[in-house]
Amino acid sequence: MVHWPHVALAGLWGGLLAVERRAFMQAMISRPLVAATGMGLLLDDVQSGLYVGMVLELFFLGGANLGAALPENDTLAATGASAAAAGLAGGMGLSTPATWSLAIISFVGLGQAGRLIDRQLERYSSRLAAKAVLEAEKGALSRAVRENLWGMWPVFVVFGLVTAACALLGSLLSPIVAGLPLRLARGLAWAYPAMACVAAAIAVRGSHARNSALYAGAAAAAVVVVVAALLASGRHL
Amino acid sequence: VNSAAIQAASLKGQRAQATVSHATLLRVFLRSLLLQASWNPQGMQNLGLAYALYPALKELYPEPEEQIAAVRRHLSFFNTHPYVAAAIVGGVLHHEERIARGEENTDRVLAFKAALMGPLAALGDGFFWLSLKPAVGAFCAALVPVLHAWAAVLFLVLYNVVHFTFRWRMFRIGLEKGDRLVEAIAKANLPRRGARLRALGAASGGALAAWLAIVFGQNEEAAWAPILAGGCLIVGAVSYWLVARRVSKYLVFYLAAALAIAAGAFL
Repeated sequence: MVHWPHVALAGLWGGLLAVERRAFMQAMISRPLVAATGMGLLLDDVQSGLYVGMVLELFFLGGANLGAALPENDTLAATGASAAAAGLAGGMGLSTPATWSLAIISFVGLGQAGRLIDRQLERYSSRLAAKAVLEAEKGALSRAVRENLWGMWPVFVVFGLVTAACALLGSLLSPIVAGLPLRLARGLAWAYPAMACVAAAIAVRGSHARNSALYAGAAAAAVVVVVAALLASGRHL
Repeated sequence: VNSAAIQAASLKGQRAQATVSHATLLRVFLRSLLLQASWNPQGMQNLGLAYALYPALKELYPEPEEQIAAVRRHLSFFNTHPYVAAAIVGGVLHHEERIARGEENTDRVLAFKAALMGPLAALGDGFFWLSLKPAVGAFCAALVPVLHAWAAVLFLVLYNVVHFTFRWRMFRIGLEKGDRLVEAIAKANLPRRGARLRALGAASGGALAAWLAIVFGQNEEAAWAPILAGGCLIVGAVSYWLVARRVSKYLVFYLAAALAIAAGAFL
């Protein structure tokens, strides 16, 4: 069953974060880890949001907005996937690694789609800038500089709608996912740590560190030793 | 004639003391957070810069013609890193105050912007986008198994303590020092700090991959779970190698997912 207030909340959060990502402040509230956890919090499923956000944070870690180049829209991928994961879990009454995997696999591509949308929205901003120059020439200075603010509303509306659609899709798909064979559900559950390991490897590359493999390998070896020692002493993780 | 002379003398007096008030400085700083609201391929951050500076320009130039000229000179092409832009916004105000006092001509402020926006963009990109953001992101993602949702809060705190402190300090330095802000930025030694942060990011990624594989392997009861857990780590290592050879990260990601689904379903 579709929970419409959740769909609306997902759209609102998705729209606000899209504005924060590029137009206002850039305080990293729109980073996948924060954006997806916030979405989970809003949709009463923090766990889905957190674990979807963690993988997507690592997956998109190396992307950067350098000069005129547009990176993938990691925020849209995070808000869309976490909204869908919460929708799936809400419908099934259970948040599991299988639902997180399914949401990530289905919606990670929104990063690419978001970049295309960003490119289209730049045309609107170009028109605003041209209009501002004309208004400044006429002496309407307040109006000219205020054009800057109008650049935000299409970003809010478009990305908000896409995120709301993801939440809706998650809710609608939950009965189908609940009927998946057990074997497939188990496979999907195992896809989560595999994707997390791949995303971590992509993040290591994306860290831009010299000798990144060395640092990552040493840290992984240290964790293996510490965890082995903990397990040997009878502690459960 | 007398009235015109008095007006001219009064204007001259005002100009000799032209400075931007503290309240307006705060307004300019807050409006500079919207620098990229209308980012466009032609002027890039031009509209955002004019928007940020407008309250100060209005205060510095009481004459409408001068206001128009001032706004128009900041509607020209402008692009830099959004955080480091605070230094340029502060520096522009420094120059505009001097222009309003008649101590320098308008070419100086245009040359200041043109000379600094490129190098400062490179510095900001290198430190914030390519070092601090990945390092804090990977570090906090690695802490998710321990801190849970608090890892997201920690991300915001760690990142923004550096971000907002830097942004406000740069604004003040630009305002006080003008062209000499370059020396102050050089003292911050951002490239060396960035290299350390990047190493932290790489180590966090490796640690998290190992932790997740082991914990999932331990929580699964089936006899083959340790093999799958080890497989996840191997898939991670192979992925690193493939991505380093410019294989699409999406392809690697989906291949790993397909492999894990098949292994999990049929083993």
